[in-house]
Amino acid sequence: MKHDAAAIRIAFVAPTLVFLIVIDLFPLLYNVFLSFTNAQLSSAAYDFVGTRNYSAVLGELASPRFQDALRTTGAFVVCAVAIELLLGFVLALALRDSFRGRSAVLSLLLIPMMLSPAVMGLFWNLILSAHNGVLNQALEVLGISGPHWLTDPHWKLPAVILVDVWMWTPFMMLIALAGLNAIPGYIYEAAEIDRASTWAVFRRITLPMTAPLLGLAVLLRCTDALKQFDLVMALTGPNDASTQTVSALLYQVTFAGQKVGLGGAYACVVLVVVIALASVFTRYLDWLAGKQGRSGQVAT
Amino acid sequence: MSFLRLSSVKKTYPDGTVAVKGVDLDVKDGEFVVLLGPSGCGKTTTLRMVAGLETCSAGKIELAGVDVTSLRPSQRDVGFVFQFYALYPHLSVRENVAFPLRCAGVRVAEIHARVDQVCERVGISPLLTRYPAELSGGDRQRVALARAMVRRPRVYLMDEPLGTLDADQRLEMCEFIRAQQQELGVTTLYVTHDQEEAMSIADRIVVMVDGNIRQIGSPTGVYDDPADLFVAGFVGSPGMNLIDGAVERREGRPVFVPKRSPLALPLPMEGDSGPATLGIRPEYVHANAHGPLGGVVVLDEYLGSHRFVHVETREGRIVMRSNQPHPPGSTVSLGLDLTHCRLFDGLSGRSRAHV
Repeated sequence: MKHDAAAIRIAFVAPTLVFLIVIDLFPLLYNVFLSFTNAQLSSAAYDFVGTRNYSAVLGELASPRFQDALRTTGAFVVCAVAIELLLGFVLALALRDSFRGRSAVLSLLLIPMMLSPAVMGLFWNLILSAHNGVLNQALEVLGISGPHWLTDPHWKLPAVILVDVWMWTPFMMLIALAGLNAIPGYIYEAAEIDRASTWAVFRRITLPMTAPLLGLAVLLRCTDALKQFDLVMALTGPNDASTQTVSALLYQVTFAGQKVGLGGAYACVVLVVVIALASVFTRYLDWLAGKQGRSGQVAT
Repeated sequence: MSFLRLSSVKKTYPDGTVAVKGVDLDVKDGEFVVLLGPSGCGKTTTLRMVAGLETCSAGKIELAGVDVTSLRPSQRDVGFVFQFYALYPHLSVRENVAFPLRCAGVRVAEIHARVDQVCERVGISPLLTRYPAELSGGDRQRVALARAMVRRPRVYLMDEPLGTLDADQRLEMCEFIRAQQQELGVTTLYVTHDQEEAMSIADRIVVMVDGNIRQIGSPTGVYDDPADLFVAGFVGSPGMNLIDGAVERREGRPVFVPKRSPLALPLPMEGDSGPATLGIRPEYVHANAHGPLGGVVVLDEYLGSHRFVHVETREGRIVMRSNQPHPPGSTVSLGLDLTHCRLFDGLSGRSRAHV
């Protein structure tokens, strides 16, 4: 009996385990292995080069193109996530009370989140096209002459941010909405009895009570935005100076430069950064769980 | 002089449910009035209308001579204690109690002093830095009470404040709330479905059923002279024993004739002949070998100092308060102390004393 139970346990876990090994673990280890070689995409032969790739990467970290990519990524993350947070929260506030057609509006707003980023990038490529793009035509109707979104270096990054905002604001809104709906109605009744003004209710109740969840959403979005690649790829290409994020640079080195070994070393360095971020993330989640335990209302 | 006056207050919800069908109530300054009734009777809705948390569908509410019917809760100057405390979970005890003062723009030093004072009064001074989730139910309710008291409102409104507490905490908080109210002399409207709680805390009890007031009276008045069969059965645990029958005259004197027994119980009061229900509290029923009503014991409810013996008779189940054990299955004859009985009209169910 005991052996049967163990066998069943293994049988249940095995598919996931195999999947993870094939999809996650093997590529990771293979990548680490490759990062110590001079492998190229075009040839199967390679030699071990020791830590030469890593010293190249460390040297690269100080290089202007990496610094630029870092700066671009930073600007992208800060702008995109901040706008998404603000817009998402405002939308959630507007949508928290029920009104006729609320669910229809909600469904419409969630569409961008459901679509593939690569496909959306291509669509936005058409929308943002300077002369016959829908956006500039619409602006023209309003009497505004739209910028050359995808060709003017000043407007390329804003264009990428615009599309990212369009895609991810619904996510922020959804989480903010969940946070708002989690505040029980009697809290607002108590505040009304306590003669709190509308502003006081927002500042002292709504905002602090949704803040932990908003923080979670910001962290999630930041980790995701930090590896921004697909939109850049689809809108401006991976080797555009004004929109080259770290991920795009990585791609450029690995595939366009065909240096798999060097790209692998890059990826390993990025992995370390991601793991560090992930630990910040899990710490925040732990802190949040502790705080909820402390301040959560006990429903009896 | 009435301090809080409700005049034909009604509440109909948008879905057509009529929660309150017309309530008239005068509460005197400094009085402790309890709205008592089973769940769904409209007592909480009535309280929430007084607070302004629900709008009135019809009628008028006056507070200290001012018509407040259309005012928002924040304009009415009321303190409200919620059944589930409704403390701000992200604020400490001190911040929770300070909240109403902060909203009123009171100076920081004064807020501090007043919060200290009120927390001292309700006995939560050692807990000021804690958060609501770290407190016991009783302490949370004390915090809720302190928050309601700190602004010194003109009326306290309490919605089943002890509903979620354990039995021992409940008694303690009940005494505590009563003592606070008497000391401060603040008019209080208090909702509960627990008639024992109502009896022990109220100056006056308002018994509500189905959105209507059935009786308004002192605890002893409601207990001794219930206005109708519902109040008779609802107030007291267990409620009054009720025996259906009729009032007749035998040899010129009124007697009560139970429906299913050939008995003529002499009545101490005058009464017109006709169908009636006789009500008698368990404490006026006793075991008596020569008693008129016989039956079989079905339950011997032991409560320490006394017991309630449930006896199945031809006239239905009669509960007797007793000091002697009566094993279930044994037969017993019951004597009724009719000087303490009450008569209810057989048709309307209204007390004959109240007609």
